[in-house]
Amino acid sequence: MTATVVPETATTAAATAAPRRRTYRLLVPLGLAVLLIVTTLVLRAVDRPDADEPGFLSPVATDDDGGSRLAEALRTQGVPVRRETDLAAALRTAGAEPSTLFVPAPGLVHPDLLDGLTTLPPGSRLVLVEPSRRVLAELDTAIEPAGGRWAARAVPPDADGTPCPLPEAVRAGTAAVDLQRYAGPAEVDHCYGGALLRAPGRVEVVLAGASDPFRNDRIGEWGNEALATGLLGGGRPLVWLDLPEPVPAPTRPSWSPDPATEEPAPAGSGRSERPDPPDRADPPRENPLWGAFPQWFWALLVQLALAGLLVVLWRARRLGPPVSEPLPVTVRSAETVRGRARLYRRAGARGTVAGTLRAGALERLTTRLNLPPDTPGDEVAARVAERAGADPERVADLLYGPAPEKDRELLELARELDALTRTLAPHPSEGDLR
Amino acid sequence: MTWRAGLLLGVGALTLPAWPAPFLGVAVLTAAVLLLVLLDRAMAVPPDALTVTRSGERTVRLGATATVTLHLANPTDRTLYAQIRDAWVPSAGARPDVPPDRLLTVPPGGTATLPVRLTPTRRGDRPAVALTVRSLGPMRLGARQRAGTPATPRWTLRVLPRFDSRRHLPEKLARLRVIDGVQVTRGRGHGTEFDTLREYAVGDDVRSIDWRGSARRADVLVRTWRPERDRRLVCVLDTGRTSAVRLGDEPRLDTAIDAALLLTALAARAGDRVDLLAADTEIRARVTGSGRPALLARLVDAVAPLQPALAETDFELIAAEVLRRERQRSLVVLFTALEAGAIGDGLLPVLPRLATRHRVVLAAAGDPVLNRLATATPAGPDDPYAAASALRALAERDRVRAALSRYGVTVVDVPGHRLAPAVADTYLRLKSLGQL
Repeated sequence: MTATVVPETATTAAATAAPRRRTYRLLVPLGLAVLLIVTTLVLRAVDRPDADEPGFLSPVATDDDGGSRLAEALRTQGVPVRRETDLAAALRTAGAEPSTLFVPAPGLVHPDLLDGLTTLPPGSRLVLVEPSRRVLAELDTAIEPAGGRWAARAVPPDADGTPCPLPEAVRAGTAAVDLQRYAGPAEVDHCYGGALLRAPGRVEVVLAGASDPFRNDRIGEWGNEALATGLLGGGRPLVWLDLPEPVPAPTRPSWSPDPATEEPAPAGSGRSERPDPPDRADPPRENPLWGAFPQWFWALLVQLALAGLLVVLWRARRLGPPVSEPLPVTVRSAETVRGRARLYRRAGARGTVAGTLRAGALERLTTRLNLPPDTPGDEVAARVAERAGADPERVADLLYGPAPEKDRELLELARELDALTRTLAPHPSEGDLR
Repeated sequence: MTWRAGLLLGVGALTLPAWPAPFLGVAVLTAAVLLLVLLDRAMAVPPDALTVTRSGERTVRLGATATVTLHLANPTDRTLYAQIRDAWVPSAGARPDVPPDRLLTVPPGGTATLPVRLTPTRRGDRPAVALTVRSLGPMRLGARQRAGTPATPRWTLRVLPRFDSRRHLPEKLARLRVIDGVQVTRGRGHGTEFDTLREYAVGDDVRSIDWRGSARRADVLVRTWRPERDRRLVCVLDTGRTSAVRLGDEPRLDTAIDAALLLTALAARAGDRVDLLAADTEIRARVTGSGRPALLARLVDAVAPLQPALAETDFELIAAEVLRRERQRSLVVLFTALEAGAIGDGLLPVLPRLATRHRVVLAAAGDPVLNRLATATPAGPDDPYAAASALRALAERDRVRAALSRYGVTVVDVPGHRLAPAVADTYLRLKSLGQL
């Protein structure tokens, strides 16, 4: 008695709507996540200063990623700042005196020329900002990048627990330099948890892991200014290598500081990326991985892939199609009754529900007490109260009272009616287990 | 091809370091393996040369296990190496004795028998759907397999209803015998008919002496009586939307089928003739009880494939069919549901025509959930609403029952699990009162 017939059109509409909704359910959160990630990456790329940009950490640039405030601060301290836009000129300017060479964008220097930086006079200092692994390898330092952070963080000089041996850093205190960290051998001095390194030698090399302490927009924070001026100042004159664009490869072989750099690079160093000068007739370079293994190895790989393909073909052929079967119609028991109960609840039909419950209880009670159906209400209440041993007023209120206002009152009413009928007129099916 | 081809190529790859030109080696080895695969495939037994037949059980009771055997004959002069998948519908519960991934070897001219054990999970017809044969070559490198070859031998297993109410049958039969005996000793009365004339014996009721017969003969003759026989009984199964509702763990239709089977078994033993009709918007099954000995078997066979349909039952059609086929007065037992919509709009308009010609019993399996909803002690805020809704449904049911009673229809309205004995009791009561 509780079957429902779903109209044909509704079924087909639901059938087409369901997969679409399922697609949305899959696509919307994924799309949101992708959008969030892309937005974050784009914002970070835009926000992050680019070392290849002209004017990046230039002593004459006054915008956010320029270095005019640093240059000004150095000049007020009496440090002569000489700006050079060419590597050779910078080396010439440094001359024979010990001086400080500041390279804010070491990535712009051609790898073959990096060795030239170490030909500074003894006692000089070379300050590099965020040098890459390639730069460090070319400089013949044993230092390697050791992880980095998403954004620069201000840390104290002894962030990793070991005291910082650089007096400039100790003086500067906390500085926002912790972006790229480096690791080197024991004789290299570590500060700021590896974000600032000093490699002693004929030419002292200082690596700063972030450009933040030198930049106009952040030089005023923490001890950034003290750190920058401390690193670049001191008794030596400062040569500021402000490269507007990548330095091309050396054009004259005689200029090349070391012929050893002309040797072919070891496999996998990524040197093939660098632009070849037009006057060198280099044949197009092969992938060095190719020659690293014997030819039979590659043939073996190809044959194993073919064998895998055969296995895939074997697995792809199924042994007969899947079997489908129409399923029988099933309608859950008391479906319409439960549906109507939910409708009552949603409509808040407490009056109707209370009336039905009272009528049901009354019918059972009057039958039980052998009262005619047209007995007046107060008499029924009196007789019921007498039999149940309850207060007639309360019974009358229970059986004929006003409709409840809240769900809680309705539940209370239903419970009391149930208790009353259970006392006086147990249901015939009571005790029946099924 | 099989995994062996891939393995062969993989093993061949290990010889590559010894080749002077490794890539040439790759080409040669791959070509060799592919050639071997093709050769092996050509040497495999073609699947369309095989002949496949089936034998085994055609019917099984729900819950029991049947065995259907597939005979695969290899008439060629080559040995058959094959993987066989015999697919049945999922509800057939097929478990092959030889799993599909095992390699079967059939010598030339030999026959392989592949038994499949089936434990169906649903009533009705359970067909075998697809037979797939993958014939491998002697080296097991290549394989032949084509959809539809060899053709699937058709086989349908009919799953009969469980007939759980069989356990009530001995008790009901005993009561039937009591009714017989009571009427024989009581003599003439309701529900009896004239049997024979025989000589008077001491102890016979003198009122049953047939004076006219005694006058013709030298002896005193008495008439003997026996219970009415050859009454007619029509079971009508409603397979419409109301029969799809699940009572407990089976649809209402299965409950009705169970009750109809018990009633048929009882009536056939009592010597009555039973017809069966199943209909929703059209006639789904029709059994005429002429061949009495095999009646129950034929009936079970006819009701086994019945399934509930999501359609409103056409009582007009049912009434017309019953009136057309049953000329004599008979007992029409209508297995349906007491639902105001279905009964009020469908049955009540045609009931007068039916009730004047026949005695109508309406057997409805009630939903025990409904009573539980109406009488349970409310615990949560939803319960008063559910109770009111259930009370309303029960009140509607009572109204329908009152309306039916006005037409002289006997209504049997009990929970599903008690329907079969209740209907049998009603039949016995009507029989003992001679109201058939």
